[in-house]
Amino acid sequence: MALIGKNAALAVALGIGAAVAAGGAIAHDDVMPKNANAATKAAYARHENFKKLGGAFKGLNDELRKPSPSLAVVRTNAGVVASQSRALPTWFPRGSGVQARPMSEAKAEVWTDAAGFTSAASNFQTQAAKLTQVAAGSDLDAIRAQTRQTFMACRGCHEKYRQEKKS
Amino acid sequence: MAGSTVKLWDGPVRVVHWLLVVLLLFSWWSAEDHLNWHRWSGYAILGLVVFRVWWGFAGGEAARFASFVKGPKAIAAYARTLGGRETAVTPGHNPLGALSVVAILLVLAVQVGLGLFTVDVDAFEAGPLSDRVSFETGRQIAEWHELNFRILQALVAVHVLAIAFYAVWKRTNLVWPMITGRRVLPSDPGLAGAPWWRLIVGVLLAAAVAWFLSRGARF
Repeated sequence: MALIGKNAALAVALGIGAAVAAGGAIAHDDVMPKNANAATKAAYARHENFKKLGGAFKGLNDELRKPSPSLAVVRTNAGVVASQSRALPTWFPRGSGVQARPMSEAKAEVWTDAAGFTSAASNFQTQAAKLTQVAAGSDLDAIRAQTRQTFMACRGCHEKYRQEKKS
Repeated sequence: MAGSTVKLWDGPVRVVHWLLVVLLLFSWWSAEDHLNWHRWSGYAILGLVVFRVWWGFAGGEAARFASFVKGPKAIAAYARTLGGRETAVTPGHNPLGALSVVAILLVLAVQVGLGLFTVDVDAFEAGPLSDRVSFETGRQIAEWHELNFRILQALVAVHVLAIAFYAVWKRTNLVWPMITGRRVLPSDPGLAGAPWWRLIVGVLLAAAVAWFLSRGARF
Protein backbone atom coordinates (compact mmCIF):
# COMPACT_ATOMS: atom_id res chain seq x y z
CA MET A 1 0.00 0.00 0.00
CA ALA A 2 3.02 2.25 -0.05
CA LEU A 3 1.80 3.67 -3.34
CA ILE A 4 -1.38 5.16 -1.96
CA GLY A 5 -0.45 5.64 1.67
CA LYS A 6 -2.26 4.98 4.92
CA ASN A 7 -4.94 7.59 4.48
CA ALA A 8 -6.11 6.41 1.10
CA ALA A 9 -6.12 2.83 2.37
CA LEU A 10 -8.27 3.93 5.29
CA ALA A 11 -10.68 5.74 2.97
CA VAL A 12 -10.97 2.64 0.77
CA ALA A 13 -11.60 0.42 3.80
CA LEU A 14 -14.27 2.80 5.11
CA GLY A 15 -15.94 2.92 1.72
CA ILE A 16 -16.08 -0.84 1.40
CA GLY A 17 -17.38 -1.12 4.96
CA ALA A 18 -20.14 1.39 4.24
CA ALA A 19 -21.11 -0.42 1.03
CA VAL A 20 -21.34 -3.78 2.82
CA ALA A 21 -23.39 -2.23 5.62
CA ALA A 22 -25.76 -0.65 3.09
CA GLY A 23 -26.13 -4.00 1.32
CA GLY A 24 -26.95 -5.76 4.58
CA ALA A 25 -29.45 -3.09 5.55
CA ILE A 26 -31.64 -3.65 2.51
CA ALA A 27 -31.35 -7.42 2.32
CA HIS A 28 -34.78 -8.36 3.52
CA ASP A 29 -36.35 -11.66 4.35
CA ASP A 30 -39.93 -11.66 3.18
CA VAL A 31 -41.35 -14.70 4.95
CA MET A 32 -44.98 -15.71 4.66
CA PRO A 33 -46.85 -15.17 7.94
CA LYS A 34 -47.76 -18.39 9.75
CA ASN A 35 -51.50 -17.70 9.83
CA ALA A 36 -51.65 -16.71 6.15
CA ASN A 37 -55.05 -17.00 4.48
CA ALA A 38 -55.62 -18.53 1.05
CA ALA A 39 -55.07 -15.27 -0.86
CA THR A 40 -51.80 -14.56 0.94
CA LYS A 41 -50.64 -18.12 0.33
CA ALA A 42 -51.47 -17.67 -3.34
CA ALA A 43 -49.45 -14.43 -3.47
CA TYR A 44 -46.39 -16.13 -1.99
CA ALA A 45 -46.82 -19.21 -4.18
CA ARG A 46 -47.06 -16.93 -7.22
CA HIS A 47 -43.78 -15.31 -6.25
CA GLU A 48 -42.10 -18.72 -6.10
CA ASN A 49 -43.62 -19.67 -9.44
CA PHE A 50 -42.33 -16.51 -11.10
CA LYS A 51 -38.89 -17.19 -9.62
CA LYS A 52 -38.99 -20.66 -11.18
CA LEU A 53 -40.11 -19.14 -14.49
CA GLY A 54 -37.40 -16.48 -14.34
CA GLY A 55 -34.80 -19.09 -13.48
CA ALA A 56 -35.77 -21.22 -16.48
CA PHE A 57 -35.86 -18.25 -18.85
CA LYS A 58 -32.49 -17.08 -17.58
CA GLY A 59 -31.11 -20.60 -18.00
CA LEU A 60 -32.35 -20.55 -21.58
CA ASN A 61 -30.78 -17.17 -22.31
CA ASP A 62 -27.49 -18.01 -20.58
CA GLU A 63 -27.23 -21.15 -22.73
CA LEU A 64 -28.12 -19.36 -25.97
CA ARG A 65 -25.39 -16.77 -25.34
CA LYS A 66 -22.70 -19.43 -25.08
CA PRO A 67 -20.53 -20.03 -28.15
CA SER A 68 -21.95 -23.54 -28.58
CA PRO A 69 -25.23 -23.92 -26.68
CA SER A 70 -26.43 -27.31 -25.51
CA LEU A 71 -29.78 -28.08 -27.12
CA ALA A 72 -30.66 -30.37 -24.22
CA VAL A 73 -30.34 -27.48 -21.73
CA VAL A 74 -32.27 -25.18 -24.06
CA ARG A 75 -35.10 -27.72 -24.43
CA THR A 76 -35.34 -28.44 -20.70
CA ASN A 77 -35.61 -24.73 -19.87
CA ALA A 78 -38.01 -24.01 -22.73
CA GLY A 79 -40.16 -26.85 -21.40
CA VAL A 80 -40.27 -25.30 -17.92
CA VAL A 81 -41.14 -21.87 -19.39
CA ALA A 82 -43.99 -23.43 -21.39
CA SER A 83 -45.41 -25.41 -18.46
CA GLN A 84 -45.22 -22.34 -16.22
CA SER A 85 -46.96 -20.30 -18.93
CA ARG A 86 -49.83 -22.78 -18.96
CA ALA A 87 -50.18 -22.63 -15.18
CA LEU A 88 -49.81 -18.83 -14.95
CA PRO A 89 -53.53 -17.93 -15.30
CA THR A 90 -54.22 -19.88 -12.08
CA TRP A 91 -51.65 -17.88 -10.08
CA PHE A 92 -53.81 -14.80 -9.71
CA PRO A 93 -56.89 -15.58 -7.60
CA ARG A 94 -58.93 -12.48 -6.82
CA GLY A 95 -57.67 -10.70 -3.70
CA SER A 96 -54.08 -11.96 -3.98
CA GLY A 97 -52.53 -8.57 -4.85
CA VAL A 98 -50.83 -6.11 -2.49
CA GLN A 99 -53.69 -6.52 -0.01
CA ALA A 100 -52.57 -10.14 0.45
CA ARG A 101 -48.83 -9.49 0.35
CA PRO A 102 -47.58 -5.89 0.59
CA MET A 103 -44.49 -6.69 -1.47
CA SER A 104 -46.55 -8.15 -4.29
CA GLU A 105 -45.75 -6.65 -7.68
CA ALA A 106 -49.16 -7.47 -9.15
CA LYS A 107 -51.05 -4.32 -10.14
CA ALA A 108 -54.76 -3.98 -9.43
CA GLU A 109 -55.22 -3.94 -13.24
CA VAL A 110 -54.67 -7.71 -13.25
CA TRP A 111 -58.21 -7.92 -11.88
CA THR A 112 -59.81 -4.66 -12.96
CA ASP A 113 -58.75 -5.33 -16.57
CA ALA A 114 -59.20 -9.08 -16.39
CA ALA A 115 -59.89 -9.44 -20.12
CA GLY A 116 -56.68 -7.63 -21.06
CA PHE A 117 -54.68 -9.65 -18.56
CA THR A 118 -56.12 -12.94 -19.78
CA SER A 119 -55.26 -12.03 -23.35
CA ALA A 120 -51.68 -11.06 -22.35
CA ALA A 121 -51.31 -14.34 -20.45
CA SER A 122 -52.60 -16.35 -23.38
CA ASN A 123 -50.21 -14.54 -25.73
CA PHE A 124 -47.38 -15.66 -23.45
CA GLN A 125 -48.72 -19.24 -23.56
CA THR A 126 -48.80 -19.15 -27.35
CA GLN A 127 -45.24 -17.80 -27.64
CA ALA A 128 -43.88 -20.24 -25.05
CA ALA A 129 -45.57 -23.21 -26.78
CA LYS A 130 -44.09 -22.09 -30.08
CA LEU A 131 -40.71 -21.85 -28.37
CA THR A 132 -40.81 -25.53 -27.34
CA GLN A 133 -41.71 -26.44 -30.93
CA VAL A 134 -38.83 -24.42 -32.38
CA ALA A 135 -36.47 -25.73 -29.69
CA ALA A 136 -37.36 -29.29 -30.67
CA GLY A 137 -35.42 -28.56 -33.86
CA SER A 138 -31.80 -27.48 -33.88
CA ASP A 139 -31.91 -24.11 -35.67
CA LEU A 140 -30.28 -21.90 -33.03
CA ASP A 141 -31.10 -18.66 -34.81
CA ALA A 142 -34.77 -19.60 -34.96
CA ILE A 143 -34.66 -20.55 -31.27
CA ARG A 144 -33.06 -17.20 -30.42
CA ALA A 145 -35.68 -15.35 -32.46
CA GLN A 146 -38.55 -17.17 -30.75
CA THR A 147 -36.92 -16.63 -27.34
CA ARG A 148 -37.04 -12.91 -28.10
CA GLN A 149 -40.72 -13.17 -29.03
CA THR A 150 -41.37 -14.93 -25.74
CA PHE A 151 -39.49 -12.20 -23.89
CA MET A 152 -41.61 -9.58 -25.65
CA ALA A 153 -44.69 -11.36 -24.30
CA CYS A 154 -43.24 -11.26 -20.76
CA ARG A 155 -42.34 -7.61 -21.10
CA GLY A 156 -45.66 -6.62 -22.64
CA CYS A 157 -47.49 -8.05 -19.66
CA HIS A 158 -45.03 -6.62 -17.11
CA GLU A 159 -45.43 -3.14 -18.51
CA LYS A 160 -49.16 -3.13 -17.94
CA TYR A 161 -49.73 -5.41 -14.99
CA ARG A 162 -46.59 -5.33 -12.87
CA GLN A 163 -45.39 -2.59 -10.56
CA GLU A 164 -42.12 -2.04 -8.75
CA LYS A 165 -42.41 -3.62 -5.37
CA LYS A 166 -42.63 -1.48 -2.28
CA SER A 167 -39.58 -2.18 -0.21
CA MET B 1 -7.01 38.10 -7.54
CA ALA B 2 -3.47 38.85 -8.55
CA GLY B 3 -1.59 35.83 -9.71
CA SER B 4 -0.70 33.83 -12.72
CA THR B 5 -2.63 31.48 -14.93
CA VAL B 6 -1.22 28.03 -14.33
CA LYS B 7 -1.79 24.53 -15.67
CA LEU B 8 -3.90 22.60 -13.20
CA TRP B 9 -5.90 19.69 -14.62
CA ASP B 10 -4.30 17.61 -17.32
CA GLY B 11 -6.29 16.57 -20.40
CA PRO B 12 -7.11 13.03 -19.26
CA VAL B 13 -8.60 14.25 -15.95
CA ARG B 14 -10.89 16.65 -17.80
CA VAL B 15 -11.93 14.19 -20.48
CA VAL B 16 -12.70 11.51 -17.88
CA HIS B 17 -14.68 14.00 -15.81
CA TRP B 18 -16.93 15.23 -18.61
CA LEU B 19 -17.36 11.81 -20.18
CA LEU B 20 -18.55 10.60 -16.78
CA VAL B 21 -21.08 13.43 -16.63
CA VAL B 22 -22.47 12.55 -20.05
CA LEU B 23 -22.41 8.77 -19.54
CA LEU B 24 -23.98 8.91 -16.08
CA LEU B 25 -26.88 10.93 -17.46
CA PHE B 26 -27.15 8.54 -20.38
CA SER B 27 -27.06 5.48 -18.13
CA TRP B 28 -29.75 6.99 -15.94
CA TRP B 29 -31.97 7.64 -18.95
CA SER B 30 -31.36 4.25 -20.57
CA ALA B 31 -31.82 2.19 -17.39
CA GLU B 32 -35.53 1.64 -17.92
CA ASP B 33 -36.17 0.81 -21.56
CA HIS B 34 -32.86 0.80 -23.41
CA LEU B 35 -30.86 -1.80 -21.57
CA ASN B 36 -28.69 -2.64 -24.55
CA TRP B 37 -27.39 0.93 -24.66
CA HIS B 38 -27.29 0.93 -20.86
CA ARG B 39 -24.87 -1.99 -20.99
CA TRP B 40 -22.58 -0.22 -23.47
CA SER B 41 -22.65 2.92 -21.39
CA GLY B 42 -21.72 0.83 -18.35
CA TYR B 43 -18.74 -0.71 -20.15
CA ALA B 44 -17.55 2.78 -21.07
CA ILE B 45 -17.91 3.97 -17.46
CA LEU B 46 -16.08 0.85 -16.27
CA GLY B 47 -13.23 1.73 -18.60
CA LEU B 48 -13.20 5.32 -17.36
CA VAL B 49 -13.04 4.18 -13.72
CA VAL B 50 -10.18 1.79 -14.48
CA PHE B 51 -8.39 4.55 -16.34
CA ARG B 52 -8.94 7.09 -13.55
CA VAL B 53 -7.57 4.73 -10.92
CA TRP B 54 -4.52 4.10 -13.09
CA TRP B 55 -4.18 7.85 -13.65
CA GLY B 56 -4.42 8.35 -9.88
CA PHE B 57 -1.11 6.55 -9.61
CA ALA B 58 0.52 7.33 -12.94
CA GLY B 59 -1.02 10.61 -14.07
CA GLY B 60 -0.15 14.26 -13.68
CA GLU B 61 0.49 15.54 -10.16
CA ALA B 62 -2.97 17.03 -9.52
CA ALA B 63 -4.55 13.75 -10.65
CA ARG B 64 -2.63 11.60 -8.19
CA PHE B 65 -4.27 10.19 -5.08
CA ALA B 66 -1.00 10.62 -3.21
CA SER B 67 -1.12 14.37 -3.89
CA PHE B 68 -4.67 15.03 -2.70
CA VAL B 69 -5.91 12.28 -0.34
CA LYS B 70 -5.22 13.62 3.15
CA GLY B 71 -5.65 12.45 6.73
CA PRO B 72 -8.29 13.52 9.27
CA LYS B 73 -6.16 16.37 10.66
CA ALA B 74 -5.65 18.01 7.29
CA ILE B 75 -9.32 17.54 6.46
CA ALA B 76 -10.41 19.11 9.76
CA ALA B 77 -7.97 21.98 9.33
CA TYR B 78 -9.29 22.65 5.83
CA ALA B 79 -12.91 22.36 6.98
CA ARG B 80 -12.28 25.18 9.49
CA THR B 81 -11.38 27.53 6.63
CA LEU B 82 -14.63 26.83 4.76
CA GLY B 83 -16.57 29.68 6.36
CA GLY B 84 -14.05 32.29 5.22
CA ARG B 85 -14.86 34.29 2.11
CA GLU B 86 -11.35 34.26 0.72
CA THR B 87 -10.84 32.69 -2.71
CA ALA B 88 -9.97 29.00 -2.60
CA VAL B 89 -6.40 28.48 -3.77
CA THR B 90 -5.71 24.75 -3.35
CA PRO B 91 -3.83 23.72 -6.51
CA GLY B 92 -6.02 20.67 -7.13
CA HIS B 93 -8.54 18.81 -5.00
CA ASN B 94 -8.76 20.23 -1.49
CA PRO B 95 -8.67 17.73 1.41
CA LEU B 96 -12.47 17.76 1.73
CA GLY B 97 -13.06 17.48 -2.02
CA ALA B 98 -10.66 14.54 -2.03
CA LEU B 99 -13.18 12.59 0.06
CA SER B 100 -15.79 13.30 -2.58
CA VAL B 101 -13.49 12.13 -5.39
CA VAL B 102 -12.62 8.89 -3.61
CA ALA B 103 -16.24 8.26 -2.62
CA ILE B 104 -17.56 8.86 -6.15
CA LEU B 105 -14.91 6.60 -7.67
CA LEU B 106 -15.64 3.85 -5.16
CA VAL B 107 -19.40 4.05 -5.61
CA LEU B 108 -18.94 4.09 -9.40
CA ALA B 109 -16.75 0.99 -9.17
CA VAL B 110 -19.38 -0.74 -7.03
CA GLN B 111 -22.07 0.37 -9.49
CA VAL B 112 -20.43 -1.07 -12.60
CA GLY B 113 -19.38 -4.15 -10.60
CA LEU B 114 -22.98 -4.81 -9.60
CA GLY B 115 -24.18 -4.05 -13.11
CA LEU B 116 -22.05 -6.88 -14.50
CA PHE B 117 -24.13 -9.40 -12.53
CA THR B 118 -27.53 -7.73 -12.73
CA VAL B 119 -30.52 -9.59 -14.16
CA ASP B 120 -33.62 -7.72 -15.31
CA VAL B 121 -37.05 -8.81 -14.15
CA ASP B 122 -37.88 -10.56 -17.46
CA ALA B 123 -34.67 -12.60 -17.14
CA PHE B 124 -33.77 -11.52 -20.68
CA GLU B 125 -31.63 -8.42 -20.33
CA ALA B 126 -28.66 -9.01 -18.05
CA GLY B 127 -25.07 -8.04 -17.31
CA PRO B 128 -22.26 -9.95 -19.04
CA LEU B 129 -21.32 -11.94 -15.92
CA SER B 130 -24.89 -12.74 -14.89
CA ASP B 131 -24.57 -16.34 -16.02
CA ARG B 132 -22.39 -16.82 -12.92
CA VAL B 133 -25.34 -16.14 -10.59
CA SER B 134 -28.87 -17.50 -10.18
CA PHE B 135 -31.95 -15.59 -11.28
CA GLU B 136 -32.74 -14.72 -7.65
CA THR B 137 -29.23 -13.52 -6.89
CA GLY B 138 -29.18 -11.52 -10.11
CA ARG B 139 -32.46 -9.86 -9.13
CA GLN B 140 -31.10 -9.06 -5.66
CA ILE B 141 -28.01 -7.55 -7.27
CA ALA B 142 -30.28 -5.49 -9.54
CA GLU B 143 -31.86 -4.02 -6.41
CA TRP B 144 -28.45 -3.18 -4.98
CA HIS B 145 -27.56 -1.65 -8.35
CA GLU B 146 -30.57 0.61 -7.97
CA LEU B 147 -29.86 1.47 -4.33
CA ASN B 148 -26.23 2.20 -5.08
CA PHE B 149 -27.38 4.56 -7.83
CA ARG B 150 -29.27 6.57 -5.19
CA ILE B 151 -26.03 6.82 -3.22
CA LEU B 152 -24.27 7.95 -6.39
CA GLN B 153 -26.95 10.56 -7.03
CA ALA B 154 -26.52 11.86 -3.48
CA LEU B 155 -22.75 12.12 -3.93
CA VAL B 156 -23.17 13.95 -7.23
CA ALA B 157 -25.65 16.33 -5.59
CA VAL B 158 -23.15 17.07 -2.80
CA HIS B 159 -20.43 17.60 -5.42
CA VAL B 160 -22.54 20.06 -7.41
CA LEU B 161 -23.66 21.88 -4.25
CA ALA B 162 -20.03 22.22 -3.19
CA ILE B 163 -19.15 23.73 -6.58
CA ALA B 164 -22.06 26.16 -6.18
CA PHE B 165 -20.90 27.01 -2.66
CA TYR B 166 -17.42 27.87 -3.91
CA ALA B 167 -18.89 29.95 -6.73
CA VAL B 168 -21.26 31.93 -4.52
CA TRP B 169 -19.56 32.11 -1.14
CA LYS B 170 -15.92 32.11 -2.14
CA ARG B 171 -16.33 33.61 -5.61
CA THR B 172 -14.18 30.79 -6.94
CA ASN B 173 -15.10 29.31 -10.30
CA LEU B 174 -14.14 25.63 -10.19
CA VAL B 175 -16.03 24.67 -13.35
CA TRP B 176 -14.01 26.67 -15.86
CA PRO B 177 -10.65 25.13 -14.84
CA MET B 178 -12.18 21.67 -15.30
CA ILE B 179 -12.95 22.73 -18.89
CA THR B 180 -9.78 24.60 -19.81
CA GLY B 181 -7.37 22.92 -17.44
CA ARG B 182 -6.07 26.32 -16.33
CA ARG B 183 -6.64 28.38 -13.23
CA VAL B 184 -5.44 31.69 -11.83
CA LEU B 185 -3.49 30.98 -8.65
CA PRO B 186 -1.31 33.29 -6.51
CA SER B 187 1.76 31.36 -7.62
CA ASP B 188 2.51 28.53 -9.99
CA PRO B 189 2.64 25.29 -7.96
CA GLY B 190 4.67 23.77 -10.81
CA LEU B 191 2.58 20.62 -11.04
CA ALA B 192 4.40 17.79 -12.76
CA GLY B 193 2.82 16.35 -15.89
CA ALA B 194 2.88 12.73 -16.96
CA PRO B 195 4.68 11.27 -19.98
CA TRP B 196 2.61 10.21 -23.00
CA TRP B 197 3.34 6.54 -22.69
CA ARG B 198 1.46 6.43 -19.36
CA LEU B 199 -1.63 7.79 -21.05
CA ILE B 200 -1.38 5.15 -23.75
CA VAL B 201 -0.83 2.36 -21.20
CA GLY B 202 -3.84 3.60 -19.22
CA VAL B 203 -6.13 3.75 -22.25
CA LEU B 204 -5.07 0.27 -23.37
CA LEU B 205 -5.48 -1.11 -19.84
CA ALA B 206 -8.95 0.43 -19.46
CA ALA B 207 -10.10 -0.74 -22.88
CA ALA B 208 -8.76 -4.26 -22.29
CA VAL B 209 -10.48 -4.61 -18.90
CA ALA B 210 -13.79 -3.22 -20.18
CA TRP B 211 -13.70 -5.39 -23.30
CA PHE B 212 -12.77 -8.53 -21.36
CA LEU B 213 -15.60 -8.05 -18.85
CA SER B 214 -18.13 -7.10 -21.54
CA ARG B 215 -17.36 -10.41 -23.24
CA GLY B 216 -18.27 -12.31 -20.10
CA ALA B 217 -14.70 -12.58 -18.77
CA ARG B 218 -13.94 -15.68 -20.82
CA PHE B 219 -10.56 -16.51 -22.29
